[in-house]
Amino acid sequence: MELLRIDWNVIFTIINLIVLYLALRKFLIRPVTNIMEQRKNMIEGQLADARKQREQADELKTQYEKQLADAHEESAGIVEQARKNAQAEYESRIDAADAEAERIIRNAHKAVEMEREKTVRELQSQIAVLAVAAAGKVLGEASTRENNQLLYEQFLAKAGGVNDADGK
Amino acid sequence: MEELSCETAFTIPVFGGIPVAESVVVTWLIMAVLIAAAIFLGRNLRVENVGKRQLVLETVIGGLHNFFYDLLGEEGKRYIPYLMTVGIYIGVSNMIGLFGLKSPTKDVGVTAALALMSIVLIEFSGVRQKGAKKFLKSFAEPIPIMLPMNILEIFIRPLSLCMRLFGNILGAFVIMELIKIVAPLLVPIPFSLYFDLFDGFIQAYVFVFLTSLFIKETIE
Repeated sequence: MELLRIDWNVIFTIINLIVLYLALRKFLIRPVTNIMEQRKNMIEGQLADARKQREQADELKTQYEKQLADAHEESAGIVEQARKNAQAEYESRIDAADAEAERIIRNAHKAVEMEREKTVRELQSQIAVLAVAAAGKVLGEASTRENNQLLYEQFLAKAGGVNDADGK
Repeated sequence: MEELSCETAFTIPVFGGIPVAESVVVTWLIMAVLIAAAIFLGRNLRVENVGKRQLVLETVIGGLHNFFYDLLGEEGKRYIPYLMTVGIYIGVSNMIGLFGLKSPTKDVGVTAALALMSIVLIEFSGVRQKGAKKFLKSFAEPIPIMLPMNILEIFIRPLSLCMRLFGNILGAFVIMELIKIVAPLLVPIPFSLYFDLFDGFIQAYVFVFLTSLFIKETIE
């Protein structure tokens, strides 16, 4: 009975263990750990990619928001400018119209004045003629030129000056 | 009690006959099965769309890897495949009694070889990590008076590993044989579950656990 025997079989077992170790490492442990490593790397790569993409998206978003705010500001500015322009245009038009109206009114006044003076002058000359004619008739058409003048002067003295007439 | 002895399976007729023990032959059988299974399982591994076979394989190998990685850390990563191999081999060896074969680990020659490999690996890891000079110095740490103890540990550690495994498996084997003599029908089943499966697993676990602990201690 050999319960405890230490002989060649220790060497055999060591060889067996080394062979088993090399074989299992080559066929089982290496491939499986490689695959798991690859998967880990892949997942980490994908996570990093996703993180990068999200950062890019965030950046773009802030950029767009800024652009949008700028556009809002710009449009408000444009509207304000247009309003100002319109106001200025309106005021200048009003002013021009006022000035035009004033000019027209002034012209009208002037024309009326001139017309009146002309009328007065015409009336004066006509009255003079009428007065001379009336005086001639009264004096039996025998009066001279000097008489006529005299009569005219007298008439005027009685009827008041030319300038006193004033259309009233 | 002829079951207790380690029989010689055959003798190589050189140098006046080299006896090959039964345990070595059983080991060859286990190796053949393990390598065949490894080749079969290790084929067609994919990174994506893994099948059930690969999923189970990855769970087992990944679990073992994590177990040893937690013990050894980054520096001891290189010893993981060997420890896995030894763990699988001892586990299968301890449980092979279920198939009516004699566990190779019942042979003190096999456990001695395992322990020898372990102590070589432990000391090698120390030399590799620290360099020869610092490694030799580490025997006088933490205080020089520990020198004899530390030197003794080189022999005590493999001896304890060897004898613990051998004794447990032999004891379980003897008890199982006795139970089979007393009650050959049904009664051995629960005992077999304990002595072959549970004890076999625990002993494999303890062996690789202690080996990795010693490696960790040496490379620190």
